[in-house]
Amino acid sequence: MARPELQPTIGELLDRQGVSRRSFVKYCTAMASLLALPPHAARAMAEQLRAARRPSVIYLSFQECTGCLESLTRSFAPTIENLIFNVVSLDYDDTLMAAAGSQAEEAREQAMRANYGKYLLVVDGAVPTGDGGVYHCAAGRTGLDILTDCAKGAAAIVCVGTCASFGGLPFADPNPTGARAISTLVPGKPVVNVSGCPPIPEVIAGTLLQYVTSGRVPDLDEHLRPTVFFGNSIHDRCYRRPFYDQGKFAKTFDDEGARNGWCLYELGCKGPTTYNACATIKWNNAVSFPIQSGHPCLGCAEPDFWDRGSFYSPIPSPRWGKAGEVSPAQAAAIAAGAAVAGAAIGVGSVLLGRRRIERHQQEPKSQSGKGNEE
Amino acid sequence: MNRSSVEFHANLATGEAALGEQQRVAGAMRAFTREIGALSALRLESCVHCGMCADACHFYIATEDPQYTPVLKVEPFKQAFKREAGAFAPFFRWFALKPQVTADELERWQHLLFDSCNMCGRCSLICPMGIDVAELIEQARRGLFEAGLAPKELYEKAAHQRRTGQPEDSSEPYRDRLLAIGRQFKVEMPIDKPQAEVMLTVPRTDIEHYPAAVAALARVMAHLKADCTFRSDGLIAENYGYYAGGRAWQREISLRLIEQARACKAKVLIVPECGHAYSALRWEAAELIGKPLPFKVRHITEYLAEALDGGRLKLRSADLGVTAFHDPCQLVRKGGVTSAPRRLLHAMGIEPRETTRHIGFNVCCGGGGGVLDIERAAPLRHRVVEEKFHEIDATGARTFLTSCSDCRRTFDDGKQHFNWQQTPRSLLELVAEHLQGG
Amino acid sequence: MDLVDFARGPALKVAFVIFFIGVVWRLVNVLLLRHKRNLSEPRRSVGASVWGGLKAMGSRSWPHPEFIKRTITGEALGYSYHIGLFIVILLFAPHIIFFGSFIGMRWPALPNGLVTIFAVITVTLFVAVLFRRLAHPVLRRLSNFDDFFSWFVVALLLVTGLMATAHVGAPYPTILGLHILSFDLLLIWYPFGKLMHAFYIFPTRAVDGYLLTRKGAPS
Repeated sequence: MARPELQPTIGELLDRQGVSRRSFVKYCTAMASLLALPPHAARAMAEQLRAARRPSVIYLSFQECTGCLESLTRSFAPTIENLIFNVVSLDYDDTLMAAAGSQAEEAREQAMRANYGKYLLVVDGAVPTGDGGVYHCAAGRTGLDILTDCAKGAAAIVCVGTCASFGGLPFADPNPTGARAISTLVPGKPVVNVSGCPPIPEVIAGTLLQYVTSGRVPDLDEHLRPTVFFGNSIHDRCYRRPFYDQGKFAKTFDDEGARNGWCLYELGCKGPTTYNACATIKWNNAVSFPIQSGHPCLGCAEPDFWDRGSFYSPIPSPRWGKAGEVSPAQAAAIAAGAAVAGAAIGVGSVLLGRRRIERHQQEPKSQSGKGNEE
Repeated sequence: MNRSSVEFHANLATGEAALGEQQRVAGAMRAFTREIGALSALRLESCVHCGMCADACHFYIATEDPQYTPVLKVEPFKQAFKREAGAFAPFFRWFALKPQVTADELERWQHLLFDSCNMCGRCSLICPMGIDVAELIEQARRGLFEAGLAPKELYEKAAHQRRTGQPEDSSEPYRDRLLAIGRQFKVEMPIDKPQAEVMLTVPRTDIEHYPAAVAALARVMAHLKADCTFRSDGLIAENYGYYAGGRAWQREISLRLIEQARACKAKVLIVPECGHAYSALRWEAAELIGKPLPFKVRHITEYLAEALDGGRLKLRSADLGVTAFHDPCQLVRKGGVTSAPRRLLHAMGIEPRETTRHIGFNVCCGGGGGVLDIERAAPLRHRVVEEKFHEIDATGARTFLTSCSDCRRTFDDGKQHFNWQQTPRSLLELVAEHLQGG
Repeated sequence: MDLVDFARGPALKVAFVIFFIGVVWRLVNVLLLRHKRNLSEPRRSVGASVWGGLKAMGSRSWPHPEFIKRTITGEALGYSYHIGLFIVILLFAPHIIFFGSFIGMRWPALPNGLVTIFAVITVTLFVAVLFRRLAHPVLRRLSNFDDFFSWFVVALLLVTGLMATAHVGAPYPTILGLHILSFDLLLIWYPFGKLMHAFYIFPTRAVDGYLLTRKGAPS
């Protein structure tokens, strides 16, 4: 691949393809609104983007299901073709690239050499670290080795999906492979987590676009997620929120409440504790999102979402251990056990108290106390 | 209250020096812990510090001084409970969550437990938790007694009564005084009959101050042709052991009357117009001696009301103008003698003009429970009785009656102090004056 | 494990166990102390006295008319914040799910907006109650650590709950975690402080109602 300074700018590329300035500005306006930027930012963005050179992107996949990539390929704004061909230079992605085997590895190494310190590393999937990392090997190297190697020269790392961001499914208890989130394995590197199982395609694309436009890591929340997409909870932006406020809840999946589109809180919706853009950007070109389709939010964009008991147990349910929710029988049993223990302690303390009372009674009555007492 | 104003009386009998601090605390703890039981524990545990009991207490109402909050008066007892026998007693001790009872504290509490409490039980009625605060105070008094901190007057009288049967020396024994009253009022005093249906007792207050009331008792009983007798060895109704908080003494003093009643095979023991005597005998004596009494205890108004109902007593109507009646706390609020006085009044054609707060909720005279005897408590007592005077004045009554000689005495004392225009009169005397054919 | 999972998981379990141990311990300790026999001649029958005890359980909920004038402020404040607490605790949908999962049932909730209004009122009353405790001479004289800490524990619960609803201070899961943690704190503190009055109030009223009726006295 060409060295970055020899790469044409995005503007030059667009001109070459005959994309009009007007339609590009329109595109940027759409992107700016997606990124929640003010309207005047669209023009600035268009200027910056035109002047920017496409960064080299290396896309690594570890313990993952390719769902994230599947999701990304369904991005409508920007479309995946647009993204790959116009915005970034995707130099390595073992799923999408035509090359395979040593050819593919060579491409990666070449890109890394050519853009050392400047390329963007996109990671999909958690990296197993147990047993020397043997649970993920490619081209004779462990995933951990590949990641460490690729991370060295990366300008920033974008973790796509919950597995890369927080460990996800491979990390779920009991985590037999010792899977770990990427951010814990690349000390010192700027990491952006684009969580979700999978993440919303526009959010992945938008995050990359934003990086290209601004050339720096966006504002992040405490889980290293871009606040522009992860700043609000599903619940806060949910169109069913009024039903929550009115106390109208679906109790089962086929009751009147469910048919009326009432709040799914009692059916285990994790919307209130889940930060993502599902309720605003939605899916499949803004057709719908899980709650709109009648299913509670699973909370897939949050850490440990696999280990939080049943998807259908409501947020306020007590969670008493790995088994999940407490059952009334279990609660009663524990209460009864505690009560018996309390009673035993109570009997003990009464005996102690009575002994002390006795002792006070037996205190020798003093000479001078006699007049008072005898 | 500074230390010098507290009367120490450790040992009158032997003239020894006052108790040392350690001995005071040990004595208090001995009594406090003895008073701990399921009932007192429940009450002590329940308090939520809402402060409403203050709004029931005439000492607080009259002074607005927060130290008179009834449940606060129990604090040393509560400390003892929490530290010794409460569920978390060890923690309370290890971490000093409740401080240890100290001699200094006990001295300060003397004023709160004795001078400013009649054990009238009004606080027990206001408590939203249902705590009988007055009973806790009674128990707390016992701790102070064993710490040698019962007020001098109460302690001396209790000691005297326990020894001799009467609370103080008199120029002639009360027995002779009683007979003299009989001669003076020309009524026969039945005394020391070997056997009698009814045993009569007499308040020392009446003997000393209201001989007419003593005569009235004899006159009414004679009118009813009741087989009754006074007993020289069990004459005085009051129980200074009860006032002073001396549990053992209270028991002994009650026992003296009980033995006399037993000796004359009395079926009924009459408590004259004395409220605390009624509480002590009617409700506490059996518990203190550990077995039910072999006779019934009746207040004179109860006895007379029963006679009224049985047709044995007929009364002429009395023309007294507007009449107010003061419900003695121990008889009415704590004793349950609620209807008897009013039935008697009704029989004499009197419909009392009630004070705003009456029957179970009346404001106490402020003198009961021994307070009347405590000299230094007089100024405080006057502030309390003033409250009551206003209430009685508000009824516009011309005649003012009560059925407890201690209340009467307290009112008389207040009358002198304030130049009050009313004169408290005895219901019993009124009845004696209006016996039909009498 | 994040804060919410800790708060509603192991912390809740420990608090739950401490709550039951503590409450039973304290009650047993009272029950098993010496019982006194009533040997005096009763004025009223056992039946009447028991009925008197039962009646007192209810009748002490409101002061005798003679007392109202002096206690109305305390009554009004006390009643309003207790009612507010009951509404907020028992009729808020998430709370119903929470408590319901212990007993295996749910009951109808009030609209959240309404509950929020009640919560705001209750918090205001709580502040007023604290001020009154500090300003009223009797209450100030009576108050101890228990009074203030019990106030604090309940107030903390109210405030974190409102913060969670209003999304202020920190992300919702963090506030929710703090809210549940403060409930855990309440459960742990419960048996040791004056909050226990909820267990004592009816027995104490009943016992004294019984004893006073037995004497024929007003209760």
